[in-house]
Amino acid sequence: MTHIARMDTQTILTYRLNFGMHLLGRLTQIYLLKVVWTAVYEGQAAIDGVPLQTLIAYLTLANLQTWFIYPEAIDVLPGRVRNGAVALDLIRPLGLLPQLVAHSLGRTVGVTAMVVVVLPIVAVVGSLQLPSSAEAAGLYLVSTVLAYTITLAIGILVALVAFWTVETNGVGLLFLYVNQFFAGALIPLWFFPDWLRTLAELLPFQTQAFLPLSLYFGRLQGTEALRALGIEVFWCVVLWVAAIVVWKRAIRRIHIQGG
Amino acid sequence: MATVRIVFALISANVRAQLQYRMNFVIWLFVGIAFQMTGFFFLWALLARFHSVGGWSLEEIAFLYGLRLLAHALAVLVFGGAQLVDWSVHDGDFDRHLVRPLPPLLTVITWFRPSAVGDLLGGLVLFIAAARLVAVDFSLPAISYLALAIAGGMLLESAVRIAFASMAFRFLRTNALLFFADGIFNNFGNLPLRIFGGLIEVLLTFVVPVAFVAYIPASVVLGHSQELALQPPLAYLAPLVGALVFGAAVLLWRHELPLYQSSGH
Repeated sequence: MTHIARMDTQTILTYRLNFGMHLLGRLTQIYLLKVVWTAVYEGQAAIDGVPLQTLIAYLTLANLQTWFIYPEAIDVLPGRVRNGAVALDLIRPLGLLPQLVAHSLGRTVGVTAMVVVVLPIVAVVGSLQLPSSAEAAGLYLVSTVLAYTITLAIGILVALVAFWTVETNGVGLLFLYVNQFFAGALIPLWFFPDWLRTLAELLPFQTQAFLPLSLYFGRLQGTEALRALGIEVFWCVVLWVAAIVVWKRAIRRIHIQGG
Repeated sequence: MATVRIVFALISANVRAQLQYRMNFVIWLFVGIAFQMTGFFFLWALLARFHSVGGWSLEEIAFLYGLRLLAHALAVLVFGGAQLVDWSVHDGDFDRHLVRPLPPLLTVITWFRPSAVGDLLGGLVLFIAAARLVAVDFSLPAISYLALAIAGGMLLESAVRIAFASMAFRFLRTNALLFFADGIFNNFGNLPLRIFGGLIEVLLTFVVPVAFVAYIPASVVLGHSQELALQPPLAYLAPLVGALVFGAAVLLWRHELPLYQSSGH
C-alpha cells in the first residue's frame, strides 16, 4: 500500500509544471473571491459577527482544503476500467478499495508538500490566520481527518459508477463544482439563503470545508462542536457502508475491456 | 460565393459527425451548461443575501454575465477549431489544411464543439431573462449597439484563439497558454471590473482587453459608464476594439503560417 501511495506522491512532485498550473488556478480563484467579498462588505468591519479578514482567511483555507482533500479515485479508476487495466489491479494481492485509498493518500502527501512550499504566496494573494485556540486546532484536525475519510468513500462511490456506465466523462468535473459550492468554499454556509442552507445541511459536502473551518475559527464550540463531529461520523459510516455495498455488487458485473 | 458554400458544407459534415454520438453530445451539452451556470449560481446566491456588488444589482450582473456568455459561446462555436491547430501542427497533421482549395484559416474553423451549444443556450436564457428585468430602454440605437457589442466581444475572444493558434507554427505547443488566457476571460469577464480597482482594472482594460468583451458595453447600456477606466465617448467605441484586435490576429496568422514545418517528414 505504501508503494502505491509513494508512486502517486512522486507523480505530483515530478510533474511540477502541471502542479503550477493547478496552483495558478487556485490562486486566481482565491484572489477573485477576495475581491468580490471585499466589494460585498463595502467597508463594513463585520457582517453577522464575521470580520472581513476572517472571512478571507476562511475562503483561502477552504480553497486549499478542497484541493488537497480530493477524491482521487474518480480520476484513477474510470480510465483503468475503460482500457481494461483494472484486470491487473484486481489480481494484485491488495484489494481494489485499499489500492484506491493508497492512490488518494499518495496524492494528498504530494500536494500538501508542495502547498506548504508555496504557502507564503497563498498568504499574500488571500489571507491566513492561526486557529482561534489550541482546542479549536485539535477539533479542526479531528474534523479534517473525518472529512478526508468521507472524501475517500465519495470518490470510490462515484468512481465505481464506471463499472456500469464505462464512460464517466464529465462526472469528476461536475463533482468538483457541486462539492466546491456546497462545501462552502465560495460562500460560507452562514451567508447562504435559508432554503439553500437547509439543502446544504442535508448533503455530505459541508463536511469538506465548512464544518472543519467553522471549528478552526471557533465559530462552533462546546455541544455545537460535538454535534458537528457527530454529523461527520454519521456521513463517514453511511458513505463507507454504501461504498462497500456498491463495490460488492460492482465486482459481480465486471467486464474486462479487451480481456 | 463558392468559398462560403464549401465552408458551410464542411461545417454541416462536422456537425453531423458529432451528432452521430448522441449520448456524448447530450453529456457535453450539459457539461457546457453546468460549467457556466456554477459561476453564475455563486453570484446569484451571494446577491440573494447582499443585493449588490460594487453598486451592481443581481439583474445587472446577470445582464453582464449573459452578454459575455453570448460573445464567448459564439466565439467558441465559430472559432473553437483554432484550438486544434496546436495539436495538428505538432503531429504534422496540419498538411491536410494546406492542400485544400480554401485558405487554411477557413478549413480550420469548421470543427464543431458540442459544449459551445450549451454555452449558447445558457447565454441566451440568462441574457433574455436579465434584459427583461433591468431598467433599460431598448430603443433601436440601444439594440443595435448591443448587437455590435456581441459581435465585437465575439471577435475579441476569437482573436485570442487565432493568435495562440498562429503561435503554434513557431512554438509547436501553445494550448497551455490559450487555456490560461481563456481562464482570464472566463474568470474576470463576467464581473463588474471596477471592484478590482486601480491597476488591475487598467490592466484588464488596456493590456488584456477583457473589459471590452462585455463589461464596457454593459456599463454603457446600464448607465454605469461614469465608473469606467475608459470614459465615454471613447467607451462607446468598445465594439470596434474587437474588430481591430481580430484584424491584428488574422495578420499574425498570415505572418506565422509560412513557418509551419511539416514534422515527421
